[in-house]
Amino acid sequence: MSGSLELQGLRRTFGSLIALDNLSFEVPAGQVVGFLGPNGAGKTTAMRAIFGLTELDSGSVRWNGAQVGQAQRRRFGYMPEERGLYPGMLVGEQIEYLGRLHGLSAAEAATATDTWLERLDIADRRNSKVETLSHGNQQRVQLMAALVHKPEVLVLDEPLSGLDPTGIDAIGKVLIDQARSGCCVLFSSHQLDQVEDLCEQVTIIDHGRLVVSGTVDELATSGGRRLQVRIEGDRTGEWARHLTGVTVSEVDGGAVRLVLESSVDSDDVLRAAMRGGRVTQFSFERRRLSEVFREALK
Amino acid sequence: MKYAYTALVAVAVVARLLWFLRRRKRRAGKDLVPDSANGGAVGSPAAGSVTGSRRRTSHVIEDALGEVGMVAGREIRERIRGRIFRIGTLVLLVAVAAAIVIPTLHHSSGGPTKQTVGVVGRLSPQLEQVVRAAGTASQDVVKVVPERSLAAAKTDLRSGKVDLAIVGGNRVLLNLPASASSSPADPSLVQTVASYLGVLKAYRAGGLTPRQAGLVDNAKSAPVNTLQPSPKSTTTGTSVFGLVLLFFMLTQYNTWILIGVMQEKSSRVVEVLLATVRPLQLLGGKVLGIGLVALGQAALVVGFALILAKAVGSNLLHGTGPLVLACQLLWLVLGYAFYCWVYAAAGSTAERQDQVQTLALPLSVPILVGYVFALTVSSSGHPDLIFKIFAYLPPTAPFCMPVLVGLSQVTWWEFGASVLISIAGTVGMAVFAARIYRRAVLQTGARVSIRQLLARAAP
Repeated sequence: MSGSLELQGLRRTFGSLIALDNLSFEVPAGQVVGFLGPNGAGKTTAMRAIFGLTELDSGSVRWNGAQVGQAQRRRFGYMPEERGLYPGMLVGEQIEYLGRLHGLSAAEAATATDTWLERLDIADRRNSKVETLSHGNQQRVQLMAALVHKPEVLVLDEPLSGLDPTGIDAIGKVLIDQARSGCCVLFSSHQLDQVEDLCEQVTIIDHGRLVVSGTVDELATSGGRRLQVRIEGDRTGEWARHLTGVTVSEVDGGAVRLVLESSVDSDDVLRAAMRGGRVTQFSFERRRLSEVFREALK
Repeated sequence: MKYAYTALVAVAVVARLLWFLRRRKRRAGKDLVPDSANGGAVGSPAAGSVTGSRRRTSHVIEDALGEVGMVAGREIRERIRGRIFRIGTLVLLVAVAAAIVIPTLHHSSGGPTKQTVGVVGRLSPQLEQVVRAAGTASQDVVKVVPERSLAAAKTDLRSGKVDLAIVGGNRVLLNLPASASSSPADPSLVQTVASYLGVLKAYRAGGLTPRQAGLVDNAKSAPVNTLQPSPKSTTTGTSVFGLVLLFFMLTQYNTWILIGVMQEKSSRVVEVLLATVRPLQLLGGKVLGIGLVALGQAALVVGFALILAKAVGSNLLHGTGPLVLACQLLWLVLGYAFYCWVYAAAGSTAERQDQVQTLALPLSVPILVGYVFALTVSSSGHPDLIFKIFAYLPPTAPFCMPVLVGLSQVTWWEFGASVLISIAGTVGMAVFAARIYRRAVLQTGARVSIRQLLARAAP
């Protein structure tokens, strides 16, 4: 699989509320793209727009350069924010049914269902009703519903919410494997550490507008040098707050993270730190995704 | 013979009920396997074979109709598997069986009874013939016994050896008045015997020979002809039974649609489905699937009713000729086709059970109006102008038009016109409902008002 999913100039308003404001970005095939933003930023609306579930005032969604229609969407997989399954239907039959709606034959749907049940370790629940499953297993079934037809594009709205670390690892591995096999993977999450671990690329939006977009490496190395400094007995980082061209980004358990402007000499910072006490750590660090997020939304 | 048929049907219904309860128990046991227990509820070949034939049927529809067929196939499987459907069908069959069998049993209990008639005096062949004829007319098995004297007859009456006595060929003697509940004498037999004895006495007084008396007895009424053909009587032209079934089924099937659409919305599964199928395909599949299950259930109930009625000799369905029956089935389909879109659109605006109940009442008003109006006219046999107009309106035609057909008050072209109007109304309603459904089914939170939807639907 190759190609890309492009969102071009999406605009959607609900009365006076602007949910999407000329939003454009791209999800390349073979990559996991993290879709971030504060609550109400427009992530879910943008994802629903990909599937035609919300009407756009303007803009378009394109797959491999062509406008996305019903035929293309059958090759996409979707996991909505509010989970949706038939509670009283058997797990296996439900997945087969959704697979068939996505164009699989009955035999293909049955085989794919068995494969995914085994892979997500819930083969023993094939003949159970969805409503009898635990939250984590329902989440797995919902993911299977998006994966059963081997989609070319996978759009997942908060797939990791409410999962324990084992569940997060299992679903995270599936997302990476899908991308490695050439699928476009776009997923939203508020768990920034997981996003950093899983994604090659990140897109951050706010008030329906694109704020930042780039690879995790690009974002980690952009936005000024980062220093992490520890001084014995210092828990506030007050010593650094008066330094010119230096911003205290984060203070976490005595570790003070500083952002240095290009004109600042790090030796001057070290001397200032030594005046504050005994320096136990002085190291250059990568920019964390949480810092990218916070700084982008300032 | 009719008792044998009744017993057979009762055994079949009870066996079905037991099978259902056993199966439910087995399934409940399987569902109780805790989620954490691995290896508990792995699909068995037996479980697969249970659903096998059902799935084959639905796969034919799926292959023929694509996505719409797949949605319809799922609806059929889930409906037939559902507890509500099975219990509902059983209850319906039991109710139909009761409606057909109970009146015949009641009729039977007032039927042939053994009556012993004591005769004081000479038992002439004429008198014996009179007693036997009275017994046949009153559906009694009559045994005639001679009494030596009036006193002996009184003793036998008191002891209950005889139920009534004929004294001297010209009067009837009873222990208690025939109207008393404790009287062993059949009042009908007493009345008939008394009447025949009176006639016999009159024949003798008139000097008729036995042959002449026989000719008078066997006299037939003269034929009565009319210049205009008389309208069919209401009891032979229409069937209240059919109207009740039509009302019940139309209400039930459309409520399935209402609840089904609401549940898909409330469980949010509709968002997953609409990511791959169009709203009209999803709605069309649901309507088709439930419609086929409904038609199957209706055919089962009607077929069951016809066979049972014939078996037990019920006259409940005698009023329903094949034409009226076919007409009612056709209007069940047309009525369902019209109302299913209305209920589907309404269901898409709700996502809670209480909201459904609020919606169901106003939606059922036109059905109720048509039903009550049709019942009234079918019993009076005199449709007025308003009723005839109602027979052409899609919401009320399913009830009113079959009544007009039963009363022979409609021509074929008028019937055809009503069908065409109903089909046109259904198409219009489907377009309108699909529009409402598309907009409402993805809106969550408070119930979406029709006014809001229409405002949004405006260009």
